[in-house]
Amino acid sequence: VIYLDSAATTLQKPPAVSGAVRNAMAHMASPGRGGHRAAMLAADTVFRCRETAARLFEVDSPEQVIFTLNATHALNLAIRTLVHPGDTVVISGYEHNAVTRPLKALDAHIVVADGGLFRPEAFLTELGDCLSRCQPAAVICTQVSNVFGYILPLDRAAALCGDAGVPLIVDASQSAGTLPVRLGTWKAAFAAMPGHKGLYGPQGTGLLLCGSRAAEPLLYGGTGSQSLRQEMPDFLPDRLEAGTQNVAGIAGLLAGLRYVQAAGTETILAHEQRLIRRMVRELSRIPGLRLFDGTDTGAQSGVLSFQAEGVDCEELGERLSRRGVAVRAGLHCAPYAHQSAGTLETGTVRASVSAFNTEGEIDRFAAILREVL
Amino acid sequence: MVYYLIVCRSLTYAQRTAAALERAAITAHILRSPKTIAGEGCSHSVKVSQRNLAEALVVLKRAGMSPSRVYIMESDGSYKEVEL
Repeated sequence: VIYLDSAATTLQKPPAVSGAVRNAMAHMASPGRGGHRAAMLAADTVFRCRETAARLFEVDSPEQVIFTLNATHALNLAIRTLVHPGDTVVISGYEHNAVTRPLKALDAHIVVADGGLFRPEAFLTELGDCLSRCQPAAVICTQVSNVFGYILPLDRAAALCGDAGVPLIVDASQSAGTLPVRLGTWKAAFAAMPGHKGLYGPQGTGLLLCGSRAAEPLLYGGTGSQSLRQEMPDFLPDRLEAGTQNVAGIAGLLAGLRYVQAAGTETILAHEQRLIRRMVRELSRIPGLRLFDGTDTGAQSGVLSFQAEGVDCEELGERLSRRGVAVRAGLHCAPYAHQSAGTLETGTVRASVSAFNTEGEIDRFAAILREVL
Repeated sequence: MVYYLIVCRSLTYAQRTAAALERAAITAHILRSPKTIAGEGCSHSVKVSQRNLAEALVVLKRAGMSPSRVYIMESDGSYKEVEL
Protein backbone atom coordinates (compact mmCIF):
# COMPACT_ATOMS: atom_id res chain seq x y z
CA VAL A 1 0.00 0.00 0.00
CA ILE A 2 1.13 3.52 -0.80
CA TYR A 3 -0.37 5.39 2.11
CA LEU A 4 -1.09 9.03 1.26
CA ASP A 5 -3.78 9.83 3.83
CA SER A 6 -1.70 11.09 6.73
CA ALA A 7 -3.79 14.26 7.01
CA ALA A 8 -6.51 11.96 8.36
CA THR A 9 -4.30 9.61 10.39
CA THR A 10 -0.67 8.66 10.07
CA LEU A 11 -0.66 4.91 9.52
CA GLN A 12 3.05 4.29 9.70
CA LYS A 13 4.29 5.07 13.22
CA PRO A 14 7.65 4.84 14.89
CA PRO A 15 7.95 1.26 16.26
CA ALA A 16 8.27 2.66 19.79
CA VAL A 17 4.64 3.79 19.67
CA SER A 18 3.04 0.35 19.52
CA GLY A 19 5.64 -0.91 22.00
CA ALA A 20 4.64 1.78 24.46
CA VAL A 21 0.94 0.98 24.02
CA ARG A 22 1.53 -2.72 24.65
CA ASN A 23 3.67 -1.98 27.69
CA ALA A 24 1.03 0.34 29.15
CA MET A 25 -1.72 -2.20 28.64
CA ALA A 26 0.34 -4.86 30.39
CA HIS A 27 1.65 -2.84 33.32
CA MET A 28 -0.25 0.40 33.90
CA ALA A 29 -3.49 1.15 35.73
CA SER A 30 -5.20 4.53 36.27
CA PRO A 31 -3.31 7.64 37.41
CA GLY A 32 -4.63 9.17 40.61
CA ARG A 33 -6.84 6.18 41.36
CA GLY A 34 -4.54 4.38 43.75
CA GLY A 35 -1.12 4.60 45.29
CA HIS A 36 0.03 1.19 44.06
CA ARG A 37 2.81 0.63 41.60
CA ALA A 38 0.61 0.14 38.53
CA ALA A 39 -1.23 3.40 39.19
CA MET A 40 1.94 5.36 39.87
CA LEU A 41 3.63 3.95 36.77
CA ALA A 42 0.67 5.22 34.74
CA ALA A 43 0.81 8.57 36.51
CA ASP A 44 4.49 8.90 35.70
CA THR A 45 3.91 8.17 32.00
CA VAL A 46 1.02 10.63 31.79
CA PHE A 47 3.07 13.34 33.48
CA ARG A 48 6.05 12.77 31.19
CA CYS A 49 3.74 13.16 28.22
CA ARG A 50 2.41 16.45 29.61
CA GLU A 51 5.96 17.68 30.26
CA THR A 52 7.15 16.72 26.79
CA ALA A 53 4.18 18.41 25.12
CA ALA A 54 4.62 21.53 27.25
CA ARG A 55 8.26 21.82 26.18
CA LEU A 56 7.49 21.15 22.52
CA PHE A 57 4.61 23.63 22.26
CA GLU A 58 5.75 26.49 24.49
CA VAL A 59 3.27 25.90 27.31
CA ASP A 60 4.17 27.41 30.70
CA SER A 61 3.30 24.39 32.80
CA PRO A 62 2.49 20.71 32.25
CA GLU A 63 -0.80 21.35 34.08
CA GLN A 64 -1.95 23.40 31.10
CA VAL A 65 -1.68 20.38 28.81
CA ILE A 66 -5.04 18.59 28.71
CA PHE A 67 -5.58 15.11 27.29
CA THR A 68 -8.58 14.78 25.03
CA LEU A 69 -10.07 12.16 22.73
CA ASN A 70 -8.96 14.03 19.62
CA ALA A 71 -8.66 17.58 18.26
CA THR A 72 -12.44 17.85 17.86
CA HIS A 73 -12.91 17.25 21.59
CA ALA A 74 -10.21 19.82 22.34
CA LEU A 75 -11.79 22.39 20.02
CA ASN A 76 -15.19 21.84 21.59
CA LEU A 77 -13.69 22.54 25.03
CA ALA A 78 -12.08 25.75 23.79
CA ILE A 79 -15.13 26.96 21.88
CA ARG A 80 -17.58 26.16 24.68
CA THR A 81 -15.38 28.17 27.03
CA LEU A 82 -15.07 31.31 24.93
CA VAL A 83 -18.18 31.44 22.78
CA HIS A 84 -21.70 31.94 24.06
CA PRO A 85 -24.97 31.70 22.15
CA GLY A 86 -25.30 34.50 19.63
CA ASP A 87 -21.67 35.66 19.88
CA THR A 88 -19.76 36.75 16.80
CA VAL A 89 -16.70 34.66 15.93
CA VAL A 90 -14.13 35.32 13.22
CA ILE A 91 -12.71 32.24 11.52
CA SER A 92 -10.29 31.70 8.66
CA GLY A 93 -11.71 30.50 5.36
CA TYR A 94 -10.17 27.06 5.90
CA GLU A 95 -11.81 25.78 9.07
CA HIS A 96 -12.93 22.21 9.61
CA ASN A 97 -16.37 21.12 10.78
CA ALA A 98 -14.73 20.49 14.16
CA VAL A 99 -14.77 24.27 14.45
CA THR A 100 -17.86 25.28 12.52
CA ARG A 101 -20.31 22.68 13.85
CA PRO A 102 -19.77 23.63 17.51
CA LEU A 103 -20.22 27.27 16.46
CA LYS A 104 -23.43 26.40 14.64
CA ALA A 105 -24.68 24.55 17.72
CA LEU A 106 -24.11 27.73 19.72
CA ASP A 107 -25.93 29.75 17.07
CA ALA A 108 -22.81 31.90 16.76
CA HIS A 109 -22.54 34.54 14.06
CA ILE A 110 -19.64 33.37 11.90
CA VAL A 111 -17.55 35.95 10.05
CA VAL A 112 -15.08 34.45 7.57
CA ALA A 113 -11.72 36.11 6.97
CA ASP A 114 -10.65 34.55 3.71
CA GLY A 115 -8.25 36.24 1.29
CA GLY A 116 -7.89 33.32 -1.10
CA LEU A 117 -5.90 30.13 -1.29
CA PHE A 118 -2.13 30.45 -0.68
CA ARG A 119 -2.45 34.21 -0.19
CA PRO A 120 -1.34 34.81 3.41
CA GLU A 121 -0.97 38.59 3.03
CA ALA A 122 -4.55 38.88 1.78
CA PHE A 123 -5.74 36.76 4.71
CA LEU A 124 -4.03 39.08 7.19
CA THR A 125 -5.65 42.10 5.56
CA GLU A 126 -9.06 40.40 5.77
CA LEU A 127 -8.49 39.42 9.38
CA GLY A 128 -7.49 42.96 10.31
CA ASP A 129 -10.63 44.28 8.61
CA CYS A 130 -12.83 41.77 10.43
CA LEU A 131 -11.28 42.63 13.78
CA SER A 132 -11.87 46.34 13.24
CA ARG A 133 -15.43 45.84 11.94
CA CYS A 134 -16.82 43.55 14.63
CA GLN A 135 -15.93 42.76 18.19
CA PRO A 136 -15.73 38.96 18.11
CA ALA A 137 -15.78 36.75 21.17
CA ALA A 138 -12.90 34.85 19.61
CA VAL A 139 -10.86 34.26 16.48
CA ILE A 140 -10.43 30.65 15.41
CA CYS A 141 -7.70 29.89 12.93
CA THR A 142 -6.27 26.68 11.60
CA GLN A 143 -2.51 26.68 11.18
CA VAL A 144 -2.70 24.49 8.08
CA SER A 145 -5.71 23.71 5.87
CA ASN A 146 -6.54 20.01 6.03
CA VAL A 147 -7.72 20.12 2.41
CA PHE A 148 -5.02 22.14 0.66
CA GLY A 149 -2.04 22.14 3.01
CA TYR A 150 -2.15 25.94 2.98
CA ILE A 151 -0.01 27.26 5.86
CA LEU A 152 -1.71 30.27 7.36
CA PRO A 153 0.49 33.03 8.84
CA LEU A 154 -0.25 32.24 12.47
CA ASP A 155 2.48 34.35 14.06
CA ARG A 156 1.15 37.52 12.47
CA ALA A 157 -2.50 36.57 12.89
CA ALA A 158 -1.86 36.02 16.59
CA ALA A 159 -0.25 39.45 16.83
CA LEU A 160 -3.32 41.04 15.23
CA CYS A 161 -5.57 39.26 17.73
CA GLY A 162 -3.33 40.36 20.59
CA ASP A 163 -3.45 43.98 19.44
CA ALA A 164 -7.24 43.78 19.23
CA GLY A 165 -7.54 42.05 22.61
CA VAL A 166 -9.45 39.14 21.08
CA PRO A 167 -8.76 35.61 22.32
CA LEU A 168 -7.34 33.23 19.73
CA ILE A 169 -8.06 29.53 19.35
CA VAL A 170 -5.57 27.71 17.13
CA ASP A 171 -6.46 24.50 15.36
CA ALA A 172 -3.10 22.78 15.03
CA SER A 173 -4.57 19.53 13.72
CA GLN A 174 -2.49 19.54 10.55
CA SER A 175 0.55 21.37 11.86
CA ALA A 176 1.52 19.80 15.18
CA GLY A 177 4.62 17.77 14.46
CA THR A 178 5.61 19.65 11.32
CA LEU A 179 5.39 23.35 12.19
CA PRO A 180 6.27 25.15 15.40
CA VAL A 181 3.22 25.43 17.66
CA ARG A 182 4.03 28.35 19.95
CA LEU A 183 1.27 28.84 22.50
CA GLY A 184 3.42 31.21 24.54
CA THR A 185 4.63 33.37 21.65
CA TRP A 186 1.13 33.58 20.23
CA LYS A 187 -0.40 34.30 23.66
CA ALA A 188 -3.25 32.16 22.35
CA ALA A 189 -6.13 31.24 24.62
CA PHE A 190 -6.08 27.64 23.41
CA ALA A 191 -4.48 25.38 20.83
CA ALA A 192 -6.00 22.04 19.87
CA MET A 193 -4.36 19.08 18.18
CA PRO A 194 -4.85 15.37 17.60
CA GLY A 195 -2.32 12.82 18.75
CA HIS A 196 -2.83 10.49 15.80
CA LYS A 197 -1.62 12.64 12.90
CA GLY A 198 1.72 14.47 12.87
CA LEU A 199 2.49 13.47 16.45
CA TYR A 200 2.39 9.78 15.46
CA GLY A 201 0.38 8.68 18.49
CA PRO A 202 -2.55 6.25 18.48
CA GLN A 203 -6.10 7.17 17.48
CA GLY A 204 -8.18 8.33 20.44
CA THR A 205 -5.58 10.80 21.66
CA GLY A 206 -5.53 14.58 21.48
CA LEU A 207 -4.28 17.62 23.33
CA LEU A 208 -5.72 20.93 24.38
CA LEU A 209 -3.07 23.47 25.30
CA CYS A 210 -4.46 26.12 27.63
CA GLY A 211 -3.23 29.67 27.96
CA SER A 212 -4.07 31.79 30.95
CA ARG A 213 -7.86 31.68 30.60
CA ALA A 214 -10.05 29.49 32.78
CA ALA A 215 -11.66 26.71 30.77
CA GLU A 216 -15.08 25.20 31.20
CA PRO A 217 -15.49 21.43 31.40
CA LEU A 218 -17.50 19.44 28.90
CA LEU A 219 -17.47 16.29 31.01
CA TYR A 220 -18.18 16.08 34.73
CA GLY A 221 -17.07 13.25 36.95
CA GLY A 222 -14.29 11.76 39.02
CA THR A 223 -10.82 13.28 38.90
CA GLY A 224 -9.08 11.58 41.81
CA SER A 225 -8.98 14.96 43.58
CA GLN A 226 -11.27 16.96 45.90
CA SER A 227 -13.66 14.03 45.99
CA LEU A 228 -15.87 15.54 48.71
CA ARG A 229 -16.82 18.44 46.46
CA GLN A 230 -19.63 18.07 43.96
CA GLU A 231 -18.24 20.78 41.69
CA MET A 232 -15.39 20.07 39.32
CA PRO A 233 -11.99 21.23 40.65
CA ASP A 234 -11.12 24.78 39.65
CA PHE A 235 -7.56 23.88 38.67
CA LEU A 236 -6.04 22.25 35.62
CA PRO A 237 -5.72 19.60 34.39
CA ASP A 238 -8.33 18.03 36.68
CA ARG A 239 -11.03 20.54 35.73
CA LEU A 240 -11.09 19.28 32.16
CA GLU A 241 -10.19 15.61 32.62
CA ALA A 242 -13.09 13.73 34.23
CA GLY A 243 -13.00 9.95 34.14
CA THR A 244 -10.31 7.39 33.51
CA GLN A 245 -7.68 8.46 31.04
CA ASN A 246 -6.58 6.65 27.90
CA VAL A 247 -3.27 5.65 29.48
CA ALA A 248 -2.27 3.24 26.71
CA GLY A 249 -2.97 5.95 24.13
CA ILE A 250 -1.07 8.55 26.11
CA ALA A 251 1.90 6.20 26.46
CA GLY A 252 1.89 5.80 22.67
CA LEU A 253 1.53 9.54 22.22
CA LEU A 254 4.56 10.10 24.45
CA ALA A 255 6.59 7.81 22.19
CA GLY A 256 5.31 9.75 19.17
CA LEU A 257 6.20 13.10 20.73
CA ARG A 258 9.68 11.83 21.48
CA TYR A 259 10.07 10.77 17.87
CA VAL A 260 9.02 14.23 16.66
CA GLN A 261 11.32 15.87 19.20
CA ALA A 262 14.29 13.75 18.09
CA ALA A 263 13.63 14.12 14.36
CA GLY A 264 12.82 17.83 14.61
CA THR A 265 9.75 19.49 13.13
CA GLU A 266 11.87 21.44 10.64
CA THR A 267 13.38 18.22 9.28
CA ILE A 268 9.97 16.54 9.03
CA LEU A 269 8.43 19.57 7.30
CA ALA A 270 11.34 19.82 4.86
CA HIS A 271 10.96 16.13 3.98
CA GLU A 272 7.20 16.45 3.45
CA GLN A 273 7.56 19.60 1.36
CA ARG A 274 10.20 17.92 -0.78
CA LEU A 275 7.79 15.05 -1.42
CA ILE A 276 4.95 17.43 -2.29
CA ARG A 277 7.14 19.36 -4.73
CA ARG A 278 8.02 16.05 -6.37
CA MET A 279 4.34 15.08 -6.46
CA VAL A 280 3.49 18.40 -8.12
CA ARG A 281 6.25 17.87 -10.68
CA GLU A 282 5.08 14.35 -11.54
CA LEU A 283 1.34 15.05 -11.50
CA SER A 284 1.66 18.20 -13.58
CA ARG A 285 2.82 15.94 -16.44
CA ILE A 286 -0.52 14.12 -16.44
CA PRO A 287 -3.04 15.69 -18.83
CA GLY A 288 -6.42 16.74 -17.43
CA LEU A 289 -5.32 17.18 -13.83
CA ARG A 290 -5.92 20.39 -11.93
CA LEU A 291 -3.51 20.77 -9.01
CA PHE A 292 -4.05 23.11 -6.08
CA ASP A 293 -0.39 23.96 -5.93
CA GLY A 294 1.07 26.59 -3.66
CA THR A 295 4.57 25.16 -3.49
CA ASP A 296 6.11 28.24 -5.09
CA THR A 297 4.72 30.40 -2.24
CA GLY A 298 6.37 28.35 0.50
CA ALA A 299 2.95 28.25 2.16
CA GLN A 300 2.13 24.60 1.49
CA SER A 301 2.79 21.71 3.83
CA GLY A 302 2.61 17.98 3.10
CA VAL A 303 -0.86 18.00 1.53
CA LEU A 304 -1.85 18.30 -2.14
CA SER A 305 -5.40 18.45 -3.46
CA PHE A 306 -6.24 17.81 -7.09
CA GLN A 307 -9.08 17.14 -9.49
CA ALA A 308 -9.23 15.15 -12.73
CA GLU A 309 -11.21 16.49 -15.61
CA GLY A 310 -14.37 14.47 -16.19
CA VAL A 311 -13.82 12.10 -13.26
CA ASP A 312 -15.73 12.32 -9.98
CA CYS A 313 -13.28 12.70 -7.11
CA GLU A 314 -14.79 9.79 -5.14
CA GLU A 315 -14.59 7.57 -8.22
CA LEU A 316 -10.94 8.49 -8.65
CA GLY A 317 -10.27 7.79 -4.98
CA GLU A 318 -11.89 4.37 -5.43
CA ARG A 319 -9.81 3.59 -8.53
CA LEU A 320 -6.64 4.47 -6.66
CA SER A 321 -7.70 2.38 -3.67
CA ARG A 322 -8.16 -0.65 -5.91
CA ARG A 323 -4.56 -0.18 -7.05
CA GLY A 324 -3.26 0.05 -3.48
CA VAL A 325 -3.04 3.81 -3.11
CA ALA A 326 -4.75 5.31 -0.05
CA VAL A 327 -5.95 8.89 -0.55
CA ARG A 328 -9.03 10.76 0.61
CA ALA A 329 -11.64 12.24 -1.70
CA GLY A 330 -14.66 14.45 -1.16
CA LEU A 331 -15.09 17.48 1.08
CA HIS A 332 -12.76 16.33 3.88
CA CYS A 333 -15.23 17.55 6.56
CA ALA A 334 -14.30 21.09 5.56
CA PRO A 335 -17.01 22.71 3.43
CA TYR A 336 -15.80 26.18 4.38
CA ALA A 337 -12.38 25.40 2.90
CA HIS A 338 -13.94 24.12 -0.31
CA GLN A 339 -16.20 27.16 -0.43
CA SER A 340 -13.14 29.42 -0.13
CA ALA A 341 -11.31 27.57 -2.90
CA GLY A 342 -14.34 27.22 -5.18
CA THR A 343 -14.44 23.42 -5.01
CA LEU A 344 -17.57 22.95 -2.91
CA GLU A 345 -19.56 21.44 -5.77
CA THR A 346 -16.91 18.97 -6.90
CA GLY A 347 -14.70 18.22 -3.93
CA THR A 348 -11.10 17.19 -4.47
CA VAL A 349 -8.81 14.22 -4.12
CA ARG A 350 -6.29 14.80 -1.38
CA ALA A 351 -2.87 13.19 -1.11
CA SER A 352 -1.04 13.79 2.16
CA VAL A 353 2.36 12.54 3.27
CA SER A 354 4.21 11.85 6.50
CA ALA A 355 7.79 11.45 7.62
CA PHE A 356 7.63 7.82 6.51
CA ASN A 357 6.78 8.33 2.84
CA THR A 358 9.51 8.09 0.21
CA GLU A 359 10.23 9.63 -3.16
CA GLY A 360 9.82 6.20 -4.73
CA GLU A 361 6.25 6.03 -3.40
CA ILE A 362 5.47 9.42 -4.92
CA ASP A 363 6.75 8.25 -8.30
CA ARG A 364 4.74 5.00 -8.12
CA PHE A 365 1.64 6.97 -7.10
CA ALA A 366 2.02 9.24 -10.13
CA ALA A 367 2.44 6.25 -12.43
CA ILE A 368 -0.66 4.52 -11.02
CA LEU A 369 -2.68 7.74 -11.24
CA ARG A 370 -1.75 8.06 -14.90
CA GLU A 371 -2.89 4.48 -15.48
CA VAL A 372 -6.28 4.81 -13.77
CA LEU A 373 -7.30 7.98 -15.59
CA MET B 1 12.13 8.15 60.51
CA VAL B 2 10.55 11.59 60.68
CA TYR B 3 9.21 12.89 57.40
CA TYR B 4 7.06 15.65 56.03
CA LEU B 5 4.17 15.58 53.63
CA ILE B 6 3.61 18.47 51.24
CA VAL B 7 -0.10 18.28 50.38
CA CYS B 8 -0.85 19.12 46.76
CA ARG B 9 -4.11 20.04 45.08
CA SER B 10 -3.73 17.48 42.30
CA LEU B 11 -1.64 14.54 41.24
CA THR B 12 -0.15 16.62 38.43
CA TYR B 13 0.80 19.39 40.84
CA ALA B 14 2.39 16.78 43.11
CA GLN B 15 4.33 15.50 40.11
CA ARG B 16 5.51 19.00 39.27
CA THR B 17 6.51 19.50 42.90
CA ALA B 18 8.44 16.22 43.00
CA ALA B 19 10.09 16.98 39.67
CA ALA B 20 11.25 20.40 40.91
CA LEU B 21 12.72 18.82 44.04
CA GLU B 22 14.42 16.02 42.17
CA ARG B 23 16.03 18.52 39.81
CA ALA B 24 17.60 19.98 42.96
CA ALA B 25 18.74 16.49 44.02
CA ILE B 26 16.18 16.28 46.82
CA THR B 27 14.58 12.87 47.10
CA ALA B 28 10.81 13.20 46.82
CA HIS B 29 8.17 10.50 46.77
CA ILE B 30 4.56 10.93 45.69
CA LEU B 31 1.83 9.18 47.61
CA ARG B 32 -1.89 9.51 48.18
CA SER B 33 -2.55 11.84 51.10
CA PRO B 34 -3.66 10.11 54.30
CA LYS B 35 -7.41 10.59 54.72
CA THR B 36 -6.98 12.74 57.82
CA ILE B 37 -5.05 15.43 55.98
CA ALA B 38 -6.45 15.10 52.47
CA GLY B 39 -8.67 18.15 52.84
CA GLU B 40 -11.68 18.07 50.51
CA GLY B 41 -11.38 14.38 49.78
CA CYS B 42 -8.68 12.67 47.75
CA SER B 43 -5.38 14.39 47.14
CA HIS B 44 -1.73 13.58 46.67
CA SER B 45 1.27 14.53 48.75
CA VAL B 46 4.99 14.70 48.25
CA LYS B 47 7.03 13.06 50.97
CA VAL B 48 10.40 14.55 51.93
CA SER B 49 12.71 13.68 54.78
CA GLN B 50 13.13 15.91 57.79
CA ARG B 51 16.64 16.92 56.85
CA ASN B 52 15.53 18.06 53.38
CA LEU B 53 12.44 20.10 54.26
CA ALA B 54 14.12 23.50 54.64
CA GLU B 55 15.95 23.19 51.35
CA ALA B 56 12.83 21.82 49.66
CA LEU B 57 10.84 24.88 50.70
CA VAL B 58 13.54 27.16 49.28
CA VAL B 59 13.58 25.24 45.99
CA LEU B 60 9.80 25.32 45.69
CA LYS B 61 9.61 29.03 46.51
CA ARG B 62 12.18 29.70 43.80
CA ALA B 63 10.06 27.68 41.35
CA GLY B 64 6.94 29.66 42.28
CA MET B 65 5.41 26.57 43.86
CA SER B 66 5.37 27.36 47.58
CA PRO B 67 3.19 24.77 49.29
CA SER B 68 0.12 25.84 51.21
CA ARG B 69 -0.03 22.86 53.58
CA VAL B 70 2.78 20.77 55.03
CA TYR B 71 2.38 18.06 57.69
CA ILE B 72 4.84 16.25 59.88
CA MET B 73 4.29 12.65 60.85
CA GLU B 74 4.37 12.32 64.62
CA SER B 75 5.89 9.35 66.42
CA ASP B 76 2.40 7.97 67.15
CA GLY B 77 1.60 7.91 63.43
CA SER B 78 -0.63 10.99 63.50
CA TYR B 79 -0.06 14.07 61.37
CA LYS B 80 0.38 17.63 62.55
CA GLU B 81 0.27 20.66 60.30
CA VAL B 82 3.48 22.65 60.20
CA GLU B 83 3.36 26.44 60.33
CA LEU B 84 5.16 27.80 57.30
